[in-house]
Amino acid sequence: MTTSKSRLLSATTAAALLLASPAAAETLVVSWWGFNGDKLNEFIVQPFQEQCECELVFETGNNADRLNRVQIRGGAGVDVIYLSDSFAQIGVEAGLFQPIDRSLVPNIDGLYEMAQNPHGEFGPAYTIGRVGIVYDAERVTAPITQWEDLWRDDLANALSLPGITTTAGPMVVMIAGEKAGTDAFEDADPAFAEIEALRSNVVTNYNTGSEMINLFSTGEISVSLAQDFALGQLQQAVPSIVWAELEDGDIATLNTVNIPTGAANVELAHEFINFILDPERQALLARNGVDAPVATAVDLTEEEAAQWTYGDGMIAGLQRIDYTQMNAAKTAWIDRWNEVFGM
Amino acid sequence: MTRFAGWILSLPATALVALFLVLPVGATIAATFADPLGITALYEAFFTSGFRRTVLWRTLEIALITTFFSVIVGFFTAYVVARASGRVKSLLIIAAVFPLLTGVIVRSFAWLIILGRNGILNSFLQWTGLTDAPISMLYTQGAVIVAMVYLFVPLMILTLVGVLENIPEDVIQAATSLGATPAAVFRQVVFPLAVPGLIVGAVLVFTGSFTAYATPALLGGERQMTMGTLLHQQAMVSFNWPGASTVAAIMVIVTVAVVLLMTRMARRLNPMAT
Repeated sequence: MTTSKSRLLSATTAAALLLASPAAAETLVVSWWGFNGDKLNEFIVQPFQEQCECELVFETGNNADRLNRVQIRGGAGVDVIYLSDSFAQIGVEAGLFQPIDRSLVPNIDGLYEMAQNPHGEFGPAYTIGRVGIVYDAERVTAPITQWEDLWRDDLANALSLPGITTTAGPMVVMIAGEKAGTDAFEDADPAFAEIEALRSNVVTNYNTGSEMINLFSTGEISVSLAQDFALGQLQQAVPSIVWAELEDGDIATLNTVNIPTGAANVELAHEFINFILDPERQALLARNGVDAPVATAVDLTEEEAAQWTYGDGMIAGLQRIDYTQMNAAKTAWIDRWNEVFGM
Repeated sequence: MTRFAGWILSLPATALVALFLVLPVGATIAATFADPLGITALYEAFFTSGFRRTVLWRTLEIALITTFFSVIVGFFTAYVVARASGRVKSLLIIAAVFPLLTGVIVRSFAWLIILGRNGILNSFLQWTGLTDAPISMLYTQGAVIVAMVYLFVPLMILTLVGVLENIPEDVIQAATSLGATPAAVFRQVVFPLAVPGLIVGAVLVFTGSFTAYATPALLGGERQMTMGTLLHQQAMVSFNWPGASTVAAIMVIVTVAVVLLMTRMARRLNPMAT
């Protein structure tokens, strides 16, 4: 064997041993959106890496893309996955997540009740939000005060709805059902008749928050449905945008954390979930504009809470969605929605 | 041994193409015939849906119109470029391919700025007094076609310039000296000789516009859903992989059929073209 060959063999063996070492196994793979990267790095990634003496590795993308990747890999490749509640429910129903061992996540007990177990024994919510109506007060003269206002004649060719495949999209069908006086889950026909009637008000539908912000800033639309996390960016782009105070209440959205069935580092995943649910961490994230808190011990000033879904009063007034029912209906709704907007 | 040298040399590339292109596409198409409800169940589901049929015809329509306008604009631009000389030719080629230096997303976004309610075109129309309020131009089929033509014309020009440059000046002069009018020279000499380039360009444009995703998504939105955006919705959002495979298979079949049709047309126009 030549010297160079033996060196190469030694180097390869050393590399293989290094990769197989226990230190390399202490890696936690987190799948999340990747928004607020710098802040997440400062308030979650760095402090947790110091605490666990491990390394965090990330997979980023939107809900559907990331859940799809986990599904394709049969639940493997990721230790913790952040998802909105509607997509988390899809994962639960597909058998992609494992139950949470609550003895390893004591901070769950300190959360609002609706955040503790939104999908039964699976992952908790780490933040809460709401879906409501936003509008440009300079272009919409009469204030919007209820969901039914979306059908108003003065909003012709001024509205963008969230696409049916987004988190908030199917909520439009429910709202339309309520306007028709029926339950869209039991009979979708009246709801879709109302959506057909709404069509003349719709310019286009959006699939991402940034798309919706662009539609406002380019003047294409003056009204939309939005999640509250987008409000800050929206008002930066168009200062005259306001969040409508709806008599019939906004709709709650919960973002959850789950551990996929094929997670390689289950214990560390539990430790990570407990870390992000710690009241001090939750307060830090809320005060720095990252996420609304779900830990009841978090006490925010009025100014700090202004942008968030926060406080017993506001949270009690939110409408809740049954995602088991919604996901069961969603496939048929997607086709019907496409027939209204895509023909 | 030398008889097999060519085969042996091309074996690695052939194996790579088979492994990474033919096999996945073949597997995708094969999967569409393996539905538990029957061999053609997925195709029946596709073609019995009015919405999906609309999406297919719309995509075909957009691709054909885009190809038509790209051929017209590209041919005459390429003709001017091919006939230019020296520095002018270099400048014209740089101008023609300049859009290719930016990505598809950027070029599509440019049209969002041009066609928007507060965009350049609406501002101009109102400034001239031709309109007194903004016109909704985005999220229409026209917006998608305009942007696609803009995307693909440079490809057409690049394909045709080489072909038109290779038409000998002697041939044109000979036709002229025999009494052919400029129109006759174009119709009977230049055009038939340019057919091979036209077909290559048209195939590139058609396949590109028929399978496009980003531009229809940005400028057409949900109201102008195409096969590309439908495929994305089925695979990445609805988690309906059999449905997505069917859309992909139909896209492959339609593309191949249209390419064969174009080749046939080319043979009619110029038997030596292909």
